[in-house]
Amino acid sequence: MKRNITKNEFNLFFNLLNIHYDIFAPVRKKGQGAFSDTDIIYYEKVVTFDEIEWAEKSTYSPKDIVFPVSQTIINFIEDRLFIPNMKSSKPIYILMRPCDINGIKRIDEIFLNNGPSEDFYYKRIREKISFALIECIDGFENCFCVSMNANKNSDWDFAISLDKYRPFISIEIKNAKIENIFHSMVTDASNIAAPEVANKNFEICFPEKNLKKVMLPNINEMPASIYSDSEFWDEYKNRCIACGRCNTTCVTCSCFSTNDIRYDDSQNVGERQRVWASCHISKFSMMAGGHEMRKDNASRMRFKTFHKIYDYKKRFGEEKGHMCVGCGRCDDNCPEYISFSMIINKLSARISADINEGKK
Amino acid sequence: MINQTYDANNIFIPVPHKIMDIITETEIDKTYRLNLNVAGLPSYGQFYEVSLPKIGEAPISVSDFEKDWIDLTIRKIGTLTNCIHSLKIGDVLYLRGPYGNFFPVDSFAGKHLVIAAGGCGLAPVRSVINYFYRNLEKLAKFELLMGFKTINDLLFKYDIDRWEKKFKSIITLDHGCDLWADRPVGLITDYVGQVDFSDKENICVIIVGPPVMIKFTADKFVAAGIKKENIIVSMERRMSCGVGKCGHCKIDSTYICCDGPVFTYERAERFID
Amino acid sequence: MSLDINRKIIQKNAYRITKKRNKTAIRIRVPGGHLETKYFPIIAQIADQFGNGSVHITTRQGFEIPDIDYKYIPEINKLLSTLIVGLECSIGVSINNPEEGYPAAGTRNISACIGNRVCPFANFDTTSLALRMEKEVYPNNFHIKIAITGCPNDCIKAHLQDFGIIGMTEPQYIYDKCIGCEACINACKKFVTGALTLHNHKVKKDHRRCIGCGECILKCPTSAWIRSNKTFFRLIILGRTGKKNPRLAATFLNWATEEVVIQVIKNIYALIDKEIDKSLPKEHLGYIIDRVGFNLFKNSVLQNICLNEEIKIAQNLFFIGYQYEKDIFMEV
Repeated sequence: MKRNITKNEFNLFFNLLNIHYDIFAPVRKKGQGAFSDTDIIYYEKVVTFDEIEWAEKSTYSPKDIVFPVSQTIINFIEDRLFIPNMKSSKPIYILMRPCDINGIKRIDEIFLNNGPSEDFYYKRIREKISFALIECIDGFENCFCVSMNANKNSDWDFAISLDKYRPFISIEIKNAKIENIFHSMVTDASNIAAPEVANKNFEICFPEKNLKKVMLPNINEMPASIYSDSEFWDEYKNRCIACGRCNTTCVTCSCFSTNDIRYDDSQNVGERQRVWASCHISKFSMMAGGHEMRKDNASRMRFKTFHKIYDYKKRFGEEKGHMCVGCGRCDDNCPEYISFSMIINKLSARISADINEGKK
Repeated sequence: MINQTYDANNIFIPVPHKIMDIITETEIDKTYRLNLNVAGLPSYGQFYEVSLPKIGEAPISVSDFEKDWIDLTIRKIGTLTNCIHSLKIGDVLYLRGPYGNFFPVDSFAGKHLVIAAGGCGLAPVRSVINYFYRNLEKLAKFELLMGFKTINDLLFKYDIDRWEKKFKSIITLDHGCDLWADRPVGLITDYVGQVDFSDKENICVIIVGPPVMIKFTADKFVAAGIKKENIIVSMERRMSCGVGKCGHCKIDSTYICCDGPVFTYERAERFID
Repeated sequence: MSLDINRKIIQKNAYRITKKRNKTAIRIRVPGGHLETKYFPIIAQIADQFGNGSVHITTRQGFEIPDIDYKYIPEINKLLSTLIVGLECSIGVSINNPEEGYPAAGTRNISACIGNRVCPFANFDTTSLALRMEKEVYPNNFHIKIAITGCPNDCIKAHLQDFGIIGMTEPQYIYDKCIGCEACINACKKFVTGALTLHNHKVKKDHRRCIGCGECILKCPTSAWIRSNKTFFRLIILGRTGKKNPRLAATFLNWATEEVVIQVIKNIYALIDKEIDKSLPKEHLGYIIDRVGFNLFKNSVLQNICLNEEIKIAQNLFFIGYQYEKDIFMEV
């Protein structure tokens, strides 16, 4: 079903939707940027149209809805264990751009399919989540979703476009339940779009090209030389400051650490927490006793690069794509202006130069 | 005890296991024998995620097992292991697992097996050694090389005494002493030459220990004509979740906790962290 | 023809007696140190037409145009009216006749570091505060120096002013967003006061040690530290250079709001008016307070002020400075 609606209709629809679902969407947080008088955009529960940041890419990805930054996995009281209940029992809709939907599907692979069994905590919330699409046509400055083949997606139940017949909002609904909710709206004739506008046809579009383009190394086996090529990676030894923003803003970074804590007030009570971990931040690869496998920032950059554009696809198969979906948040947020898309391109150039030399 | 919301599919729930016995191996190593009350025995070389609630969790390899108990040999090295060392018989350790792959003991049938273990690397192969101690007839030949830093670092002395009587066991210390007079001194690599290489094609080697020891020992065996695919090593990495989710132990497209910790040297030598 | 000049009058008009006989110099105020380039041609014209074609950039972020004949003062004042209207009247400074030049020069130009219009460390827009404050303190003949700085790095050297205003934020910690990476802890320990420690894999703050610099916020990769809705200020007072007893300003108010800072400064002006030694050609504020005592000062300047709840007020002022006569070790 496709319909062009007014903001009033949208809000009525969202009101009804909120009865059944928690709806998450990007929200601009005034003054919460690291620098004073700047904003950040992250995902929060929303009810109305105006709460949603439609125009800009979110600073942080929506992944924390399904994989919280920090969560209690077990509560300990004396010698008993308690599994915390979920905060909300409602099913969830997340309004996302296509790269982010694809990103969530990338981390699904890690949490649900990698290793001997599914991740209980991820699965129990993931099962409640459905996707809604925010139409994205031009992308943004640092996006390269088209190169990563993550620019399109059809796993959404409804999609919203603001660009078709402004100021009307175009909505396409593919899910019968949502369509029913939509049709159950009781609208005041003065607030709805006239039929000739409401029924105008449209097609939800996807980005067809980005300002940034990356060339991926198209090889079956990464040449061993690239791992030890210090000239290639050493640039990042000092340029990268190991702050971890590329990991924390990334929609597909899924690593975590597990920490136990004991409350100050009652030593018999504590919890086991799962918190995001970043392969750039020190101690990620540190073993008990203090030996760290990747101590310098250059080797961490190599590790992340391969994870994002080589290892994942190699492990999970061609059809799963690369882990990186080209959302460009790493480039948006790097305080040292390190461009990940530039690294990918440099790596590909270096590898094809190797291959050409080999041919000679 | 676990509350009602416990879900059998929650692999992160640790299960309490009672400590039946504690053996002090060295000043910093103790072996804990736990009553195994969960379904499923571990296999040779697998590990458990061992924890104390409110303190922490760490991967510990099984240093031996029978049908109703497992041994965990734990070195005092951080907050959690310090706390574990203060436990007494009758206390409990919480376990998740067993995780990871294992040494393919059945595939060694009819082979000439050589095990080279450095320091606490002996723990993950102790169950293999004890298996062949009991089933020596399954092997064409069995040789054991063990290296420790000093006489005070010797692990499983009670086992070593038994092993020495049944098959060729070379124990070397990095630093000898009066009590070790006339016994082998030096690095394990110095004693690889004493292995019987008469039937090279039939030899399988297991090497466990610190990364540097693994590399140099494996290179010696390779130089002696052993194929890399016939050398098996067990890797130490920062394993945390144990089930391929947390990402800490990943190297290239390999998750050490699921795909390892046991690899052929042919594979392991190409790991670049 | 010999000149007959009333020094007092021309000084109040922002001109000064210079080393060169018969030549004066005009000081142009640039509140907050930020100037639209449209004013440059006027400054250039004055320098070219009446001065020597050069301009000095003052330590207080104004311009001083030297080598001017006293006789051109009325003409220059007319030209200055564009600057006075654009930079002073437009922000609410009450000046009777902008064509007569600056009405006072005692309270100096309010200087400000570049602030958050450019600098990532700044906790607020320093220039804008200078623009808001100018009308509260100018025109005034009392010799007062005010500087505003965006963070405790104090690049504007607010510690050497009668009033130094240091921007602060009160970092808010979101426990559930913290990954325990220790970036904030390390930065605070290395660059600031070590107010943060790791406890139970999360961050604990010693509020008494926090100076509101925002370093933790800048370092946090997950926005677990965010800025407070309110901007706070530390008002440091009575710093000075000079030939008698240079000293760094001491903290009078901590975690004060803008309203409180401005009101306190206005009250201090009233106190000066009441207590200044009128027998002297001029008396600096520091010496007035040294004379009347801190308690009288504190009680009178905090009178009738609605203090914000977060504020901390000094029990006493401790100055770090030195007196030249005590430099006994300087002898050969």
